[in-house]
Amino acid sequence: MTRTGAAAGYHGYYHEAVCYDSDDDLLAVAVPFLLGGVTAGEPTIVALGERAAGVVRAALPGDVPVTFMSGGAMYARPAGAIRAYRKLLAGHVAAGAPQIRIIGELTAEVFGPAWDSWARYESAINHAYDEFPLWSMCAYDMRTAPVQVREDVLRTHPRTAMPDGRHVPNETYVDPVTFLSDRRPPVPDPLQRAAPRADIAEPTLGDARQAVRDADDGRLDPDDVDDLVVAVSEAVANAYRHGRAPVRLRLWSSADRIVVTVTDGGSGPKDPFAGLLPTGDGLEGGLGLWIAHQSCDHVAMYRDAGGFTIRLAAG
Amino acid sequence: MRRPRKSSRRGRPIGWLLLRGEQCHGVRRMRPAPKAGHECWSYEDQGLFDAYARRCVDQALAAGERVWFVPSQHADVTGLPGGDAVRVIRFAEAYATHEVVDPARQVAAYAAATEDALAAGFTGFRVVADVTPLVRTDEQRDAFARYEYVIGRYMRHHPMSAVCAYNRGELGERAVAELACLHESSHAAGVSFQLHPGATSAEAVLEGELDLSAEDLFATALRRTDLDRADGEVVVDATGLRFIDHRALLALQRYAESQRTTAVLRTPLGAVARLAGLLDLPHVRVEAAR
Repeated sequence: MTRTGAAAGYHGYYHEAVCYDSDDDLLAVAVPFLLGGVTAGEPTIVALGERAAGVVRAALPGDVPVTFMSGGAMYARPAGAIRAYRKLLAGHVAAGAPQIRIIGELTAEVFGPAWDSWARYESAINHAYDEFPLWSMCAYDMRTAPVQVREDVLRTHPRTAMPDGRHVPNETYVDPVTFLSDRRPPVPDPLQRAAPRADIAEPTLGDARQAVRDADDGRLDPDDVDDLVVAVSEAVANAYRHGRAPVRLRLWSSADRIVVTVTDGGSGPKDPFAGLLPTGDGLEGGLGLWIAHQSCDHVAMYRDAGGFTIRLAAG
Repeated sequence: MRRPRKSSRRGRPIGWLLLRGEQCHGVRRMRPAPKAGHECWSYEDQGLFDAYARRCVDQALAAGERVWFVPSQHADVTGLPGGDAVRVIRFAEAYATHEVVDPARQVAAYAAATEDALAAGFTGFRVVADVTPLVRTDEQRDAFARYEYVIGRYMRHHPMSAVCAYNRGELGERAVAELACLHESSHAAGVSFQLHPGATSAEAVLEGELDLSAEDLFATALRRTDLDRADGEVVVDATGLRFIDHRALLALQRYAESQRTTAVLRTPLGAVARLAGLLDLPHVRVEAAR
């Protein structure tokens, strides 16, 4: 049982980008990739956006055993996607798969303010999936991808699959430890332009949770508010446990959104994968930031002159 | 209506560690009381506690209950009503203060006292006690904490209630917190949660909020319960739980694993089920409660 295709003889995660300008270009890469997996008897999975999935489905023979997953459900949260994929991959390996092939896609919905967290996802998975015999292609529609997205795609994927069948190393690729160690401030959330609704110095964890509950006027999904309460509580606990004084919580809210920042005077976690992967068994910490990332759709962690900040948003 | 009469048991040693330990569970509540009135009062100001104790005694008398009042060593408790209704017990008379409480024997002693009170025509039995001298050492505190938990269940089934007072200045905040969290409610004890018994030994009630501040206090509290397996599961009624973090869920998992059981956590908080799902806890099952 050996690996096939471009990843034949490769150990670990063979991570490729597909930067397509047309459906023909996408199909030129995707169809041989999928049919090759099917021929080799490898688990072969499509997790493209709805439109691209339809294009690929139409180009494949009707009875081909390719699994189509909903890309939208898979890519709700970066840390959630890592957890779900790791579970999926572990299951296939346990069942004896010599290689798993997946073609996935991050679509234009995440090319806005959320992109930074997805760029970090793309970088982190080079490490997070490396224990599995995975060959994946991450498709990006260049007709909708902004310049920053294009640059980050090439910096986070070791190679690109070309329509002519070549697999080309990306010269600007950087290893995930380097990429993830750059914790630049994200684009400010529009809500942050106004004065915060709450600004609490040295909040207790109970204060922090209550501030979130108080900001909810019933128009957010109750589950989203409960999950934000979990995330904020963990972020504040992390600041006290691993950060430095002073700890400060600020909260902004509108009718349908809540944004919270938790800042401490330290320099943030040393582990570049903090938040995206659980570290340790929970006895010595290491789960808090991961849970915050699992419980909240939009998380950003960054350093600036004021220290280390984690920003969490719901709605 | 109260019909006081002389107790046939009068004249025996009155210190609760010295009482005879006969089992006496004949008179039970029709159904377990949702709140039996087992409260912890943590204090540093003697005068404030004395005033509160006095109010509790007055309330109990007004309710037709018999009261045992065990004041602090330095308490000023003159002027209490006399007669059969109130018995003031001085530590110096009743206790060997190096004693380590035997939880089962102590529950039996209070069961007998409750029966006595009912037989004498009182509506119930109330204890207001400063038990600081009984929890000074680690061994004493561990035994007394186990006792606090099991007497709570007796109170749910029988017309007994209690205020257990601890001198925080003398014992320290941590020691008081260990005891306080095993009551139905606590005053000034610095605890954010209460873990107290359900109707049976297979059920506990968990209320409040558990986060970093409760980190190992909760694990210690769980070890002091008498949660016992029933069909391989114990139930933690968390209807009154406002928040629980991953550390507390992991503590529950470790406790259940050590007892070779499954803890069923019943809570209306959907976030708890999602959090437990992330943590993959084989010995904890979260069920939705209304």
